[in-house]
Amino acid sequence: MIEKGRISAFQMAIMMYLVVVGTGIIFIPGITAKYAKQDMWLSPILASLAGILAVCTAFQLHKLYPKQTLIEYSVNVIGKIPGKVLGLIFLFFYIRMNAGGIRIYADFVAGSFFTETPLIVIISTMILVCAFAVHGGIEVVGRTSQFFIPLYVLFLLIIIILLLPDLDFKNLFPVMGNGLMPSIKGAITPQSWFAEFLLTAFLLPFLKDVNKGRKWGLISVFAIMFTFVVTNLVILFLMGSITASFTYPLLTASRYISIADFLQHLESIVMAIWVAGTFVKFSVVYYAIVLSTAQLLGLSNYRPLVFPLGFLTMLFSIWGVANETESSSYNSTIFPFFSLVVQTLIPLLLLLVAFLRKKSGRRKPN
Amino acid sequence: MINLYFRKLTNILLCICLCFFMLLLTGCWDRTEINDLALVLGTGIDKTDDNKIQLSVQLSIPKAMGGTQQGTGGGGSGKPTIVKKATGSTIYDAMSRLQEKVSRKIFWGHNRVVIFGEALAKDGIRKDIDFFARHPEPRLRAYTFVSTGKAIDILEVIPELERSSAEIARELANFKIGMSVTVKDLLQMLNSGADSAALPWLEINPTEGLRVNGTAVFKKDKMKGSINDKLTRGLLWLRDDVHLATVTIEPKNTKGSISFNLLRSKTKLVPKIVDGKWQMIAKITTEDDAVENDTALNLMDPKIVKDLEKQLAQRINQRIRMTLNLVQKDMRIDVFGFGEAFHRKYPNEWEKVKGHWSEKFPEIEVKIDSKAHIRRPGMSTEPQGIPKNEVKK
Repeated sequence: MIEKGRISAFQMAIMMYLVVVGTGIIFIPGITAKYAKQDMWLSPILASLAGILAVCTAFQLHKLYPKQTLIEYSVNVIGKIPGKVLGLIFLFFYIRMNAGGIRIYADFVAGSFFTETPLIVIISTMILVCAFAVHGGIEVVGRTSQFFIPLYVLFLLIIIILLLPDLDFKNLFPVMGNGLMPSIKGAITPQSWFAEFLLTAFLLPFLKDVNKGRKWGLISVFAIMFTFVVTNLVILFLMGSITASFTYPLLTASRYISIADFLQHLESIVMAIWVAGTFVKFSVVYYAIVLSTAQLLGLSNYRPLVFPLGFLTMLFSIWGVANETESSSYNSTIFPFFSLVVQTLIPLLLLLVAFLRKKSGRRKPN
Repeated sequence: MINLYFRKLTNILLCICLCFFMLLLTGCWDRTEINDLALVLGTGIDKTDDNKIQLSVQLSIPKAMGGTQQGTGGGGSGKPTIVKKATGSTIYDAMSRLQEKVSRKIFWGHNRVVIFGEALAKDGIRKDIDFFARHPEPRLRAYTFVSTGKAIDILEVIPELERSSAEIARELANFKIGMSVTVKDLLQMLNSGADSAALPWLEINPTEGLRVNGTAVFKKDKMKGSINDKLTRGLLWLRDDVHLATVTIEPKNTKGSISFNLLRSKTKLVPKIVDGKWQMIAKITTEDDAVENDTALNLMDPKIVKDLEKQLAQRINQRIRMTLNLVQKDMRIDVFGFGEAFHRKYPNEWEKVKGHWSEKFPEIEVKIDSKAHIRRPGMSTEPQGIPKNEVKK
């Protein structure tokens, strides 16, 4: 096997939590508020269905083809050439997704804090650090995520608690004033973030305790849903109708904190935790990209691919996106459907075909 | 053995290397030293005659700021702040002109106060508020005001207690004696369906310095008028913004007056649509302590207290009615948040009247249901300084 390292199901859950929340928490509240208005807290609940679906699909596929990743068993399921083409589609999708994610992160950091730092410096430093983690293998990525998660959750909690005095709970109403439709529309973008749980298909073969894989996957989905619901509610309570008019509502909210005139200007904490979260996110996706490429090409070691693919991701994120407006509109209009096809529908079809094949295959010897 | 020694050596070298890398952590593109910054404490925005913006900023002088903190009669270092101004077509445009006159980089992160000049407020403030929500430095926590005359005059006031006039304005807003509106609140008001806003009215009194005196009332983003201190109280009661208040009443059947200190109050706006008639019920509960009693009434008598509670509630009702008469009936501007309340409870009906809310709003029947509770008579029992036999039972 190409990867010698092993992680636990719990580590996988943490990695997946940061994969979704890492960039999601920067970007999702604003987009959700735009469509769902005061029902923005309902959208993550609806969107989490995509996560549950992805976890179950990945787990079932893994049960049918244990010890194999998505790239490997798609060849087994639909034949060599279609399987390789499908692998290429996944690869392209994840490189584009990671590049888009890094661009969100870079625009966020450059737009709010380092206005004079060139984008390429922000992007390349992040990719370089991720490259080292990926080079170290899955265990390193797993452990760094385990190291960051307590800080991540703690600081998020601190931000929320410090905002409590400024919250106005009346902003919640009217609940579903225009029916369920706005919150469904608001769920379209978050569902593509939740669908990233398909990445578990790349992690499951390396679990020490595979039988706990689905359980921890689902726990992770619920934890993310809970995080999004709480942050969306806090933002809604603070800003009400103007939420959608901010690019990064949670950052704006954290800048509003002022306790007794001295506990204020806390946004650098927010940035610090987001950098940590996005680092884990990019590392996990980066790892999946590197691993899939190696498996697609039938290599015996994935490490030589780490830096070239990192460079490719960097180019994608710089040349693939012209500006933040385009990035934001891509992520809220094109990406959700792209993701729906690649991360939800294709794996479901794959599972269906695999299921039918196994069934007919089992019948033959009889 | 040699191998072990070698490994130890590489470890030490690695540690030294890591320490060296730490030096690199300090540097980044956007490093700005604190002594290269000019901190903006307050911003004033005025209209010029040729329809441009005159931006005035109050900058802190670090040397003098330190001097005043040492206290004891220093003062030799001069004013702790300076005011600079420039004109431009937008705020940032004006700021770039301003930068030409200031040797340090103007930094907005500590801007606490935004003051709109009266003329500009009458012209509309919407186009000038965007900067404070878009640029990454200013904070939404900054308090907003409208000033009589020019905003720059307010910034130029030399304060007595505080270090700068911007600080005075901020502290006054913090007390919540009048309206206290942050940039965030202002954006919310302008964005709500009611299409109105209310900002505290700041004026200079030649002898007393700065003073928050009443409220400027906005229709859309244009100032339409102002209400005085007294009527502002009514506005605050309805908006549930009453924080620090004293209520003084002159009880019936006796001479003199009693002052109460308001401990807490809660206003609940309950919208109702009955047979197509729109009603608003304002439920107000307050808790007060007596702090001064120059009547002959004995505050230890439950009957008297009960009676006073009723008069107190009536007093609040009166205040609110006065405000409603002016703002709801005459000005026809919904600064009370009635629109939002109806939107929350009756989203479908609201959708229908949203377009012509300013016509619907004056027709709303307002019922005030206030309750006052006098919790404690204070540190004294019977009125002080009066012979016992004159105390009313």
